[in-house]
Formats: sequence, structure tokens, C-alpha cells
Amino acid sequence: MATISLKVNGTPCTVELEHDRVRLSEILRGQLGLTGAKIGCGVGKCGSCTVLVNGEPVTSCTLLARKADAAEVLTIEGLADGAVLHPIQEAFLDAGAVQCGFCTPGLIIRTYSLLRNNPGADDAQIVEMLRHHLCRCTGYLAILEAVKLSRERMAQG
Amino acid sequence: MTLRYVGKGVRRVDGADKVTGQAMFVSDITVPRMLHARVVRAGVPHARIISLDTTEAEGMPGVRKVVTGQGCGILFGTCLWDQPPIAVDRVRHAGEPVAVVLAMTEHQADQAARKVKVEYDPLPFQLDPVEAARPGAPLIHERNGSYRRVEYIVRSEAGTNIFHHYKLRKGDAAAGFAAADVILEEHFEFPLSSHCSLEPHGAICRFTQGGDIDMWASNQAPFVVRDVLADMFKIPVTRIRVRVPYLGGGFGGKSDVSIEPLVAYAASQVPGWAVKLVLTRKEAITSSLIGRGMMGRMKIGARKDGAFVALEAEMYFADGAYGDTSWPVVTVAGHNCTGPYEFPSCKVDSYGVYTNSPPVGAFRGYGHPEGQFMLGRMIDLLARKLGIPQGDLMRRNFLCEGRRNGLGQEIKRSHGDLFACLDKVEAAMAGTPLPPEDDRYLYGRGMAAMAKSPKMAANAASTAYLQISNDGSVFVNLAGIEMGQGCQTAFTQIAAEALKVPIERIRMYREVDTQFTPWEWQTVASMQTYRGGRAILQACEKAVELLRLNASLVFDCPVDEVEYDGDACFRKGMPANRLPVASLARGYMFGNGLTVGQPVQATGTYRVNGITEPDPETGMGNAAGSWTFGVQAADVRIEKATGRIDVLHFASCFDPGRVLNPVTIRGQVAGGVVQGLGAALMEKLEFGPDGVIRNANFGPYRIPTIDDMPGKLTIEFVETPNPEGPWSAKPIGEHPIVAVAPTILNAIGNATGTEFTRMPVRAADVLDALRRKEGV
Repeated sequence: MATISLKVNGTPCTVELEHDRVRLSEILRGQLGLTGAKIGCGVGKCGSCTVLVNGEPVTSCTLLARKADAAEVLTIEGLADGAVLHPIQEAFLDAGAVQCGFCTPGLIIRTYSLLRNNPGADDAQIVEMLRHHLCRCTGYLAILEAVKLSRERMAQG
Repeated sequence: MTLRYVGKGVRRVDGADKVTGQAMFVSDITVPRMLHARVVRAGVPHARIISLDTTEAEGMPGVRKVVTGQGCGILFGTCLWDQPPIAVDRVRHAGEPVAVVLAMTEHQADQAARKVKVEYDPLPFQLDPVEAARPGAPLIHERNGSYRRVEYIVRSEAGTNIFHHYKLRKGDAAAGFAAADVILEEHFEFPLSSHCSLEPHGAICRFTQGGDIDMWASNQAPFVVRDVLADMFKIPVTRIRVRVPYLGGGFGGKSDVSIEPLVAYAASQVPGWAVKLVLTRKEAITSSLIGRGMMGRMKIGARKDGAFVALEAEMYFADGAYGDTSWPVVTVAGHNCTGPYEFPSCKVDSYGVYTNSPPVGAFRGYGHPEGQFMLGRMIDLLARKLGIPQGDLMRRNFLCEGRRNGLGQEIKRSHGDLFACLDKVEAAMAGTPLPPEDDRYLYGRGMAAMAKSPKMAANAASTAYLQISNDGSVFVNLAGIEMGQGCQTAFTQIAAEALKVPIERIRMYREVDTQFTPWEWQTVASMQTYRGGRAILQACEKAVELLRLNASLVFDCPVDEVEYDGDACFRKGMPANRLPVASLARGYMFGNGLTVGQPVQATGTYRVNGITEPDPETGMGNAAGSWTFGVQAADVRIEKATGRIDVLHFASCFDPGRVLNPVTIRGQVAGGVVQGLGAALMEKLEFGPDGVIRNANFGPYRIPTIDDMPGKLTIEFVETPNPEGPWSAKPIGEHPIVAVAPTILNAIGNATGTEFTRMPVRAADVLDALRRKEGV
């Protein structure tokens, strides 16, 4: 059985792959107990399983785990500083952007990726980013507001 | 009195769990000694099973068992027992389970499932409900009419595919039409669609070797699941435990039961082992519950002055392979297709028809979107035919004090104010004038009103348990399933307000567990804030009574001399001598240990009393216990070259009695409107010539993305005081979707001059229509 080594939320780990088609999401959720990334479609269309791999947002349900060998991975579990929520997490709560919560971790991770790389992202760039995610509860209104609020707060430091 | 929490946008109590990834859903749960299930699906829409060979699959690595329906004599249901948990000798839709492979890992189950060999003898399949309802159509259930059922409410027609026929006969419709100056008639189609809650269905079930059933389910109705399992396996309900962690959206697709009987049946074959099944998105579309699927006709008669005199409607529902989850949708679609208007006479026939699709179940709006889609379109058409502005025609016929709905119930002022809703929507639209046609675009405006009343079991109730702890904090336990709608936050606000305590002191029990949570009917019909809230209010009142009783024993005075202010009890006129709530929570203990009074715990229940099922002959009666009204309007822009439809502005105004939480209610309306845009403009389950669903995943099955949001969303409320809900708050969860489709199709009609009566209306449909018009 092949093994891969990766660093997840700052912690190095080595995991065995049951077969060569194992997806990163299976490793995170099944072997590492990081169930924050959700599987909504399994084909990379809904964005609920989004995590950062080497700083880039990817749908972990489509990424083969062996391709994440030696990678640094950030999941939703790694975003808050202990019990102190990240400003994006706070903004999602304040804007009322959370309903059932299934799409939320993926959305927050991608928002983090956008605003870290481009703190001054304009509204069009925000909409472009949100195209990668499906939400069936909110109608996107509050999500859009939450991302804008995140941008504002992160700019204020 | 000033309210501290009711009406305030307090933060969601489930929010922190959800933004940190800590919220547990069924798919996140692993239990010891757990097998993973992979289901082998029919793949053909209607056939007899000739042979089923599991030998090779059973020999695959890690496989513990391959479960089939051989020897399974169970039919499950709640009011109509017509469905086996797994196919026995026949499949009635392509997603039906024929075998379940149980293995140590998902991958092993998946590999082995490919080795199960099934041979079928195909039977003719039917997807069109009108065709399937015809006399002589091939039968999907030969036993229709003789299945066990609650005969008063499920009206099956033996020898046909009609498993339920609801009829409404109010007044004399023939005489009504004879007296009409104008009569309008149209045919409509509302296609089958998928709920697409982002969390696919999942369940874990263990039959203990001691004979108990232990289950985790992504389900809106754990007590219904419990009752159904008890009936399936003939064991007492007390030996069944169903737990629901967080639910990743429901929209009706996770009520009443869907995959739970299958998972339980598989688990019953491997006592001691837990069996976990989480559906893929494809399976959630092909093999759980789907929604809608109505082909209908509506006829309205009116006088020249616009007064409605008669309504006639027929609706045929393509309800799929089994009928237990759809028959009440058929009923309510019938009696509420009159919407927010009074019709002095009605003749409505609504049919639940077996077809070869996955079974239909509840879907946000529960029959109301289907019937009121027709109605909302008809009123737009009728207004133009009569030459009366649509708003005036609506006002002329709105339900209001003294008027009667389709069921014959008299409407009171407290039921809601449609006129005020319409005023607000018209004002909102007046604020954004519709641009005139230009070289590139056509513009149109549409409007529709809605009414919804919950369809519920006549004994449907909520029950709350409340306990005050020795630090003054308060536990509330009520089985309202938190599926995103925010009921746990509303419950917390209600309890804090009623007990006059800081909201941080209130804690809802997080997981619903039928072993510990008091009985609740189910989380459907937008009833939790309203019905569960009333149960909590009663529990709070009783708890305060107990605190006062305990204090009266300390003060040695009559109870009615004791006052309570949220922090403490004191004797009237003696506010300085205070007994803090914490000191009274377990009875009061004097310095020497002597304790008087009792621990403060209380229960509360609420049921909408006096509800009956509609009369079998007239379809009328006191079948609805609450009404919520609303009006919606939209401006659309159509690109002439492509047919592309953009919603520029969508305005909604509802009368939910009271806005309990302005943040969560806004989420319900925005979410409902955009879900409704999906139905109007893009969503439809497409069946191939082989009878198999072709668009069974996101992508091919397109649901709204951020690009489909209206350019502007107006969300307004009217708050009509009423004695029904907690601080007047009434149902509002489903309502925002009900009138979206007619609103949008009316606007498209206004823009293009083409009156669409089928959904979805996509760019290609509009382009076709525009080209046809040019060709004329």
C-alpha cells in the first residue's frame, strides 16, 4: 500500500492509501478526522469540500490524494486560532450567511484564499469566486454580504 | 413591554459550529464495528427481476454480506403501505435498490457492488401522469386499492394507477360558470425536480444483538422514522432510538422517510454490526425523494367587475413508484389551489398517480407552488382579458375578514393582511420603473399573490422539556430539527424572552434523540417557530410558576403574592428581599440543609386544535389551522438575441404575523425566492428514452448560482397581530417559494407577449418564442 506525507493545518502526517484512486477528501475526512470539508456532489461542482493545497483552493473530492504528497493543506479546522474565530468566520456569522452550514466551510476557505491573495478584491472578483460554490439555502444574498464584510474587516486589520 | 430578544437579529446559536467545521452531520459520524453500504440500483424503470446473483460479490475482499429483497415481506408506510424497503421481485423505478453490499470499507463495497449480476424482464414504463391515469393503462401496482391504508384520507382507485384522488366540491361550480361574464381556461405543467439540499441523505443503523434498533439519520422526522421502523420490524417504539445531528438542508426531501427503511433492513441482516449509507449526489437525485411533477388544467369564471364566481381545476401528479409521501401533497395542492382568493364555487380534482420515477415527497411549499402556479398565471391573464389592472383584480377577490377559502373556513382579520402586502410590493416596484424596450432588451413586470396553510396530521404536536439549573441557566429540549431555517435560534429567543433572562443562559439540546427528546410530530410545514415556540412558552410559564411556588414556601406566603423578574423572586411590595433563581432551581435549601419546594423542570405542548381531515365527499372542512399570505413581483430583462432572462428586481412582502428574527427571516425569503427562480427558469429532471434520469448530478442538473441572483431583492413584511403564534409569529419558511414561478412567468409574458404555461422557461424557449413571433 502506498503512503503519502503531507502537512495538514501545520501538522505533518503520513497516511496509507487504500488504492491509487483515493481522493484527498477521503484522507482528510476518513483518516485524519477532519470532517469539516463536506461532500455535496463528489464531482467538484458544489465547492463544499474546498480546501487549500499549497495555498490554492481545490475541491478535495476530485483531487487524487497521491497528488497531494508533500503538500501543505489548510482545512476549515485550521482557520480559527484556537477558540478565537478568524474575521471571515465572524463576518459570516454577523452577516447571517450561515443556514444549514453544509456549504459554509468550503465558502469560508475560498474566501480566505481570495482575500489573503487579493485583500482589495473588487465586487466582480468576489462574484467570480463565489461561482465555484453552490448553496441551496441562502439565495447567496447574505453570503455576498459576508464576503464583502470580511474584506472590510481584514483591510482594517 | 419592551422586548429584549423577540424581533432582534440575534446571532444563530448553531453558527459557531458551522463556521468552524465542527458541526456534525451524519456523513461525519463513524461508530465502532461499522460496515459501509453500497447499493446496487435497478438501472431500468420497470421490470421483473428474473435472477439475482450475488455469489461473486460475496467473495470479494472485505465483504461481510450482500443483502437482497429475497424473502422480504415488508411493506412500509405511514398512511399507505405500498413500498418494500428493497425490491423483491420487481423494480418500479430505475433508482430502486435491488441489493446492498456491506463491506469493511467504502471502496470494497463499491468494488463488490459491480459484481452483483441482475437479469430483468422489462415491463412498459410510464412517466406521464395523465397517460398513466387513463383506464387500461398498464398497472404499476396490481394491488392498488387493496394495500393497507388509512381509508378515510387515502382514496385509492383499484384497477388504475390512481392511488389517491382528492376532490373539492364547494358550492355549485356549474352554476357559477353559467353566471360568469368571462371564462378562462389553460393547461399547465410543473416538472419533477430535485430538492438538492447540499447534504445528501445518509443513515447509520445497528440492530443490537439484544433486539434494539439504533439509528442516526439525516431526517426531518425522527419520530416518524421510529414509528415506521417499529411497524416494519414489529418491535415496540421504545426499543428504537433515532438520532439526528445537524441536517444539511431538507426542503421536505428528508421527510417523512426516505432511505431509512432500506438501511434498517440491511442492518437487520447483520445483527451487532452498524451499517452506514451515505448517498452520492446521483443517488440523492435518483433514489431518495423528488418533488412536484404536476400536469394540470385550470378554469376561472369571473364577472365583468372582476368578482370571481367559479374555479375548476384538475391536477395529475406524477408521483412515482410509491405513494405514501405524496398523497397529502395531492390533497393540499387541491384544496389550496384557490390561493389567497375567495371563489364562491369550486370543483377541483387532484390525482396522485403511480409512475415509474423515484417517489415524490414533500418539497418546500407542499402542493401550494403547483396549484398556485396555475392560479397566479390565470389571474394575470384574466386581468388583461377583463381590462382591469392586476392589482385591482387581486384586491377585489383577496381573502379577508368574513370571506371563505376553498375549504370553507372563514378568514379573520388576524389571519393576515394581503392588501398591505400588495401595497408594499407595488410601492417597491414603483421605486424602480421598468425601462422601455431598447435595441438589445425587452423588459417585463409580473406579480402574483400566495397563501399557504400547513398540511399536518390532525394530532400533530410539539412537546418541550425545560429545566432550570442550579446556576440559573436553562436547558430546553424540543425535537425541532435545525436544518438551516434557524429554529434553534428562534426557540432560544422565545425562551429567553419568556423567562426574562439573558439569552446566554438558554441552551437548546443540540442533537435530537428520540430516546431523550420529547415527542414531536416532525419538522415540516414551517411549523417549528409557531408550534414549537408555543410549547416552549407553556413550559416557561410552568417553570416560572414553580419558581414562585418554591419562593412562597420560603416566604411562607400565598403563591400569588410572589413576583418573578427574571433574576429572582420576591414578595409583592418587598423587592429588597430577593431569592435568586439559582437558589430556587432545585427547591430552596436553608442554612441547615432543610430543603423545601421542588426542582424546577416543566414540559409544554402545543397542538393546533380542532383540525380534521377534509370531508371525503366535499373535500371541505377545518383542515387548516394557520395561514400566511404574501405578494411577490418581479422585473425581468430579456436579451433579444439570445433569449437570456435576467431578473432585475424581485420584491416580496409576507405577513408572518411577527418577525421574530429579522436576519434569519431574510435568509428564508432570499433563499426561497432564489430556489423558486431555479424552478421557474432552469430545473427539471430529464428522463431519457430508456426511462432513466439523465441529469443526475450538479452540472447537468443546474440549480441557481450566484449569477442567478436577482439584481435587487426587496424583502418586506407586514405584521398583523394574532393570537396564534408566539408574539404573533406564524409560519414563513416555505412561503417565499410559492408564488415565484407565476411571478416570473407573468413577467416574461409581459416582456415577450408569449404566455408560458410550462416550466422551466429557459433562454432557448424564449428565443424560440421570439423567433416564432418574428416569423408571423
